Amino acid sequence: MRGRTALTIALLVVLAVVIQTTLFGRLRVVTPDLVLLIGILLALTRVRPEAILGVAFIGGLIMDLLGASLLGLRAVVYTVVAYIAIRTKERAELGRVTIAIWAGLLTLVGVVLLILIGTLFGQVSLLGENAASRMILVPLANVAVAALLAPTFVRLVDRDRTALRYP
Amino acid sequence: MLTTKRTDRALPTFITLLVVGVLLMTFDVRLDGGGVVGVLRSGTQAIVSPVQRLAAFVVNPVSNALDSLSNVASLREQNAELSAELAEAQASLIAVQDQIAELELLEQLYDLGTAEDQVGRTVANVIGAVDAALIIDKGTGDGVVVGQPVIDTNGYVVGSVTSASPGSATVIPITAARQGITVQVGSQTGALSSQAFSADMTLSMVLDVFDAREPVLAGDRVVTSAGSTNFPAGLPVGEILEDASPESTSLNTTVRPFVDPETLRLVVVLAWPPDPITAVTDDTVPEETTTTSEAEGTTTTAPSGEDG
Repeated sequence: MRGRTALTIALLVVLAVVIQTTLFGRLRVVTPDLVLLIGILLALTRVRPEAILGVAFIGGLIMDLLGASLLGLRAVVYTVVAYIAIRTKERAELGRVTIAIWAGLLTLVGVVLLILIGTLFGQVSLLGENAASRMILVPLANVAVAALLAPTFVRLVDRDRTALRYP
Repeated sequence: MLTTKRTDRALPTFITLLVVGVLLMTFDVRLDGGGVVGVLRSGTQAIVSPVQRLAAFVVNPVSNALDSLSNVASLREQNAELSAELAEAQASLIAVQDQIAELELLEQLYDLGTAEDQVGRTVANVIGAVDAALIIDKGTGDGVVVGQPVIDTNGYVVGSVTSASPGSATVIPITAARQGITVQVGSQTGALSSQAFSADMTLSMVLDVFDAREPVLAGDRVVTSAGSTNFPAGLPVGEILEDASPESTSLNTTVRPFVDPETLRLVVVLAWPPDPITAVTDDTVPEETTTTSEAEGTTTTAPSGEDG
C-alpha cells in the first residue's frame, strides 16, 4: 500500500468514524455501519488483503475505544467480515445490485457476529436498544450506501477513474 | 500466482489479528475497563472529540431536522397546545418567582441550604453516540469524572459516566448498563436492570423486588433509592408499565424509563457524591456549574451553591 493510498484510506476511516458517531449515532432509522462497510468495500480495490484486514481491525478498535463495549469486540468482528469479503469478492463484481446485496449480506454477518459475541461476553445491552432490530436496519442501510458509493469509493482508493465500471 | 501468494499471506494476518482481538477482549474483561484500557479509551476520546465536536455543529441541525420530519404531522397540533401551556406557565412563573425570592430571603436569614444545592452540575451537549453510549462535550477539564451520575434537563435519570478525557466523556444510559440500579417504588426497594431484547421493541427495563410486601400498579413512579451507591436518592427513573403482585416474597414487572437516550441533546452531570471534606468543613465554597450554550457555543461558569 503506497503512501497516498494509505493516507486516503486513513482519511476515509476517520471520516467514517466521525460521521458514524455523530450523524448516524443520533438517527434511529438510518443506521448504516460505515466503518464496517469500508472494510467490505476495500476488498473490491487493489489494496493488499493483509492491509485490508489491518484497516478493518483498526477501524473496529477505534469504534471500540470510542464506545463502551468490550475492547476488541468490533475489531474482531470487522476483521472476520473483511476476511470473508476478500474471499468472496469475485462473486460480487457483477454489477451495482450484486455489490449492494453482497455488502448487505456481509453486514448482516457482522451484526449477527457482533450480537453473538457481545452476548457471550455479556455486552449485548451495551450494543444498544433493540439489538434485534439492528439485524435488519443496519444491513439494509449498508445496501443503500454500497449501491450509491461503492464505485466512487473504489476509484478514490485506487486512484483509477476506470475502476469498477458496471457492465 | 501472485493472487495465491497474497491470499496465503492474508490467512496468517487474519489469524494473528483474531488472536490479538481476543487477547484485548480478555484484558478488558480482566481489567474491568480500567488500567491500560481506560487510558487507551481516554486517549482516543481526547484525539477524536475535537473532530466530533466540530462535526456536531454541522450534524446536530441535520439530525434534528430529520427527527422533526418524522413528527411533522403532529407538530402544528403540539404547537397550539404548547402556546396555551406557555401562557399558563408564564402566569404561574410570576407567582413562583415571588415565592422563590421569599424562600431565598428566608434561607439566608436562617442559614439554610437544600441538599440539592450542594451538588455541582455540569450541563453538557451530546455530541455523538456509539451504540448505546453517549459522547458528551465535557470531560475531566470541566470536573466530570468516571462514576458520576447523569440526568436530563428535567431531572430524570439518564445513566452514569464510564470514561472521561479532558474534553469529552462517555455516558452509559441505565437502559444499557450491565449493572442494575437500586430503586424505590412506594415503600419497596428493588433492582432495576436493562432489557436488551424487549419483545415489543419498546424502551423498557425489568424491576425485581425481592422483599415484596404489596403489589405495584401501572403508573407508579420509580425513583432512585437511598440504598443506591451510584445515584442520589429520589431522582425519578420511570414508571411501572404493568400491575404486578408479589409471588412468594418477590415481584417482577417492567418499567418504562422517563428518558429515551436516543433523543437526548443536553444532559446534566452531577458532582455526586459531593466531596465530603468540602461539604462538612467548608460550606463557603460554592460548587460550580459549567454551562455550554449549543446555539452560542459559549461556556460560562457560575456558582450555584449557597454561601455559608
